[in-house]
Amino acid sequence: MTPTDDGAPAVQADRVWFAYRNRDWVLRDVSLAIPAGKHTVIMGPSGTGKTTLLRVLAGILKPDEGRVAVFGQPTNGFDQRRLSALIGYIPQQLGLVRSLSALDNVLMGSLGRIGDGKALFGLFPRAETDRAEAALDMMGIAHKRSEQVFRMSGGERQRVAIARTLLQHPRVVIADEFASDLDLALASEILTRIRRAADKENITFLMSMHRLGLARQFGDDVLALKDGEIVPGFIGNEMLETPRAEVSL
Amino acid sequence: MKAPLVLPATTALFLFAVLAHLGFFDLERLARGVRNLGILGSEMLPPDVGILPTVGAALWETVEMSFAGTLLGFLASLPLSVLGTRRLFSSWISSVARFIAAGIRTVPVLLWAIIFVILVGLGPLAGTLGIAAYTVGYLAKIYADLFEGTDPEIVEAVQSTGASKLQLVRFVILPEAANAVLAQVLFMLEYNIRASSVLGFVGAGGLGFVIQIYLQSLDYQRLATILLLVLVIVLVMDGISAWLRKHFLLSAQTV
Repeated sequence: MTPTDDGAPAVQADRVWFAYRNRDWVLRDVSLAIPAGKHTVIMGPSGTGKTTLLRVLAGILKPDEGRVAVFGQPTNGFDQRRLSALIGYIPQQLGLVRSLSALDNVLMGSLGRIGDGKALFGLFPRAETDRAEAALDMMGIAHKRSEQVFRMSGGERQRVAIARTLLQHPRVVIADEFASDLDLALASEILTRIRRAADKENITFLMSMHRLGLARQFGDDVLALKDGEIVPGFIGNEMLETPRAEVSL
Repeated sequence: MKAPLVLPATTALFLFAVLAHLGFFDLERLARGVRNLGILGSEMLPPDVGILPTVGAALWETVEMSFAGTLLGFLASLPLSVLGTRRLFSSWISSVARFIAAGIRTVPVLLWAIIFVILVGLGPLAGTLGIAAYTVGYLAKIYADLFEGTDPEIVEAVQSTGASKLQLVRFVILPEAANAVLAQVLFMLEYNIRASSVLGFVGAGGLGFVIQIYLQSLDYQRLATILLLVLVIVLVMDGISAWLRKHFLLSAQTV
């Protein structure tokens, strides 16, 4: 069955509980709905369960109780390939392969669509290579395509990670503490590029952040998580009274 | 006695008892050994370089056996180590793969050479297969442990693109472990050059056969030449390893 929009939220969690192997609950009865086409930011103190929540929503962790749905389709029966067409996930440390070039890392976004045979020899279809180069261009680092990731700066690595996810063509991107390590001006520039790319490709973004200024700039909505629970009454955009700042590129 | 001192004191006592049992406190015997070392040294000098043309073929055979055995063992160890990676396969598949590697590793390289002499007859083929077998057991274990240590965030991030297990191995696990994979195979090549120089003792080809003849005929000047040749080969290998490391390994400081 192909997921359809039909007004369904892009990502929905319904009474989700999660604990790591016989430990205390990390997520307690979390319910939320991320609207399609919007960009939502999750904020909250360190150790409050933001990363766990994002990993559960991305399908990496299975909830102990409750369910997660993407565009109305419960994801617990999805295999990784099917899920990858819907959700892209960027971990806090970005998950890039350091010894490979920026272009090779971006091309990994297409692995869900291509077979083992050619990919194992590093032979990607021309169309995928063109798209990968376009994604790097969109993030402003086309000139770094052949550079190994371990030689790149923090900001450049963030752009490679986003470009890889764009090549995946997911309908939702979930990113953990994205741009948190960068200085404000650079983080702001990258987030502005991401908004442009997301609007162009009609992608819903869900990010965790700890800087209010960036959340205001990037998010249409802000959710707060505390001690594994969504803070009631915080859902919405009351934190976003200040108009979003656009950064000229 | 305070608790922190119990373990070191027990270890020291145990070591003392073991050394006594092994004859380390038989001073007369040790003194005789030192005298013999002097005699052996003087009988080895000067090395008889006149045998170089004669042992050249045996030396080349040793290098061939080490190179081919290491490469074959390396190639065979890759699939076994991937199957032994618990992050990729279920625990029973990885346990079976690790058990096979452990079984192969249990048998010393000299015993592998004897087994292959029985199976395929005397000569360098048996030696090469023996080296390959031992290399599989060693590298499969090291590589499986290395692959399991791959940063889980990278595996998860690429898995979430829909990558298959084979693609994960190709694009994440091998590139991430490339430094250590290359370093270990070079170490194994050096080890195998030393090991293959004695495989001829059991009829498995290479320098070992010549070494055995010179040892039995107490021809220590010629034996010294062979030992110097092995030293030269190992030093050359060290040089090649250093060059490969410099040109192909990532700089640890910049990662």
